[in-house]
Amino acid sequence: MKPDIEVIPVETDVLVIGGGLAGCMAGIKASEYGVKATIAEKANTLSSGCAGTGVDHSWAYIPPIHEKMGWTIDDLIEDHAQLIARGFINKELLRLVASENYSRMLDLEKFGIKIRYEDSKIPGKFRIVYQFHSLPSSFNFDGRDLKVKLTLEAKKRGVNIVNRVMMVALLITDGQISGALGIGTNNGHLYSFRAKTVVMSTGRANRLTPNVTGIWGNHRIPVNETGDGRAMAFRAGIPIINMEFLSSGYYSIGNYELNLGSPRNTVQPAAAVTGPNGEIIVPRTRFYDWENLGKEKVDARISRQKMLSGNRNPRPSYEQLKQQGEGPFYLDLTGGTEEEIKYIEWSIGNEGKGSLFLDYLKNQEGFDFRKDKLEWLPNSREMAGTASSGLVVNYDLETEVKGLFGAGDDVGGVPWAGAPGAFVMGWRAGEKAAKEARQQKVFLPVDAEQIESLKKLCSGILQSKEGQHWREVELAVQNAVDYYAGDVRAGNTLRRGIERLNDIKKNALFKAENPHELMRCLEVQSIIDNAEMVLNASLERQESRWAPFGFIRADFPQQDDAKWLTFLALKRKEGKFEFSRIPIRQ
Amino acid sequence: MFQPLVFNEKTCTGCNNCVDVCLMEILEANPKKGKPPLVKYPDECAYDGACWMRCPQREKWAIKIVPPLPMRVSILRGEKP
Repeated sequence: MKPDIEVIPVETDVLVIGGGLAGCMAGIKASEYGVKATIAEKANTLSSGCAGTGVDHSWAYIPPIHEKMGWTIDDLIEDHAQLIARGFINKELLRLVASENYSRMLDLEKFGIKIRYEDSKIPGKFRIVYQFHSLPSSFNFDGRDLKVKLTLEAKKRGVNIVNRVMMVALLITDGQISGALGIGTNNGHLYSFRAKTVVMSTGRANRLTPNVTGIWGNHRIPVNETGDGRAMAFRAGIPIINMEFLSSGYYSIGNYELNLGSPRNTVQPAAAVTGPNGEIIVPRTRFYDWENLGKEKVDARISRQKMLSGNRNPRPSYEQLKQQGEGPFYLDLTGGTEEEIKYIEWSIGNEGKGSLFLDYLKNQEGFDFRKDKLEWLPNSREMAGTASSGLVVNYDLETEVKGLFGAGDDVGGVPWAGAPGAFVMGWRAGEKAAKEARQQKVFLPVDAEQIESLKKLCSGILQSKEGQHWREVELAVQNAVDYYAGDVRAGNTLRRGIERLNDIKKNALFKAENPHELMRCLEVQSIIDNAEMVLNASLERQESRWAPFGFIRADFPQQDDAKWLTFLALKRKEGKFEFSRIPIRQ
Repeated sequence: MFQPLVFNEKTCTGCNNCVDVCLMEILEANPKKGKPPLVKYPDECAYDGACWMRCPQREKWAIKIVPPLPMRVSILRGEKP
């Protein structure tokens, strides 16, 4: 192995870290302001991020139909804030996402995505189904090739895309962003980006606990999303919120983990969950009666009250039912009409791994939704609710560091922002970052010491004769998180968990044979930082917050809104954790 | 340990589109031009299917993704509708 690491300097006005949905939208929008924009991506923007192999839906306020229903933008916001987030949400950012996502859908159409259908009875020829809210708000589209289309659009606009570079460090000069550093995942070079502004959009923090099937890569969320963004922000002393909300495992289409979620998600409108004798556990939904759109006005306030009163006595979880001797549970579409099943197959085929999954079901299993059922089994644990944990940003997506913006799942405070959050926040962060970069005449000097120190770290890992393979360290961390930050947590065990994690850190000595393995070592470093945040934040939050996160402290079993209806921010300052609480405005 | 991907030597043209898009960087171009890529890190496969989606010879089964046994779905078979 070469002892020295080659440094590749890159200058760009706007640097976007992470080229998923949010990152691509940021790069595309930034290009409209006459600045040089660069996207640094760990894999390849053609296939990376949660929508890498497709996304078929995106919730939105859709004026041409929702106005006819008598449903206002405030109704959508209240539905999301109350039904989904139980008040635990940044309403300002929620309003941004809710009110702008329809415009982003129309932008997708300009980039070549099919969003209108001849057979549709809906104004605009759209396809819209129920999902989260009291009225249908899930905008379906042919999103299987969305990342390909966004990549082509970005390239057409002159955005510089640098694939196969894992970003690991932010450069900050006198409280202002000055660039960032990354490592080439197949050439091992050190990429030193000087930038006037930076958009952070690396996505979620995955691989924090062992995988439920024992197949390492079998996760619902992309396996290479290791929370690199929040880890590098944390290392730079920037506050991160909601890291305690590592969810307990839930049930979904088992074994082969898919982005299909529950029957209220991509398997609309005909899926039910049924028991061994066909008894209904979760009833199916139906298409909205589009032929009578506008004839009946909905009072969202009353429908919300009805839904919330039902939820106060929640149905037991599948795991609880199983412990009572119930089950097995099945995803059951057999009651669907041919039209409904065809719709669902189209929808699944455009979402996540759905395209491959349908092919596998048909050609390797001989499965048919019309007669066969899929067993509902436990999924791996993950950070709860997309965009609920992450950076603290304002309405302009600015962080506390001047010139550093957040977007998509790297932003905290908007539970279940998902794809809409990525589209809207990416777009706005791209605009704001470009406008700010345009005002700045010169590049700030970057810290040469930080470059040297990263060089030393990486060449050390590459040259190390002794030490551990990254998987050994990863498993040790995952086991610690799984046990000490399990479904029910308590002060003493969390404190012990932090001690154990510190021991693992002390004993872990990475070694890598090549740049690919070096990338995996750096990912495990991100996992360690994220695990540290999960354990420490879990210890600090002295209450239980059941819905929507399933956060349970055995020593503080009550939800304490008076003290804890707040985001908990943590940051590292001189090696120590500092906590602060950010009030949530209702 | 696992063999997540099987390439069909007869239909794969060695275009290496799959190598380019692989999320997990598990594939390597074959040093022999026109031959299927090498699966260098089989147990880092994410089973997302990006390689398969971008394969121009997909219809001819140039790439087959085979989920390992613990990942195969559990099916309750029904009667013909």
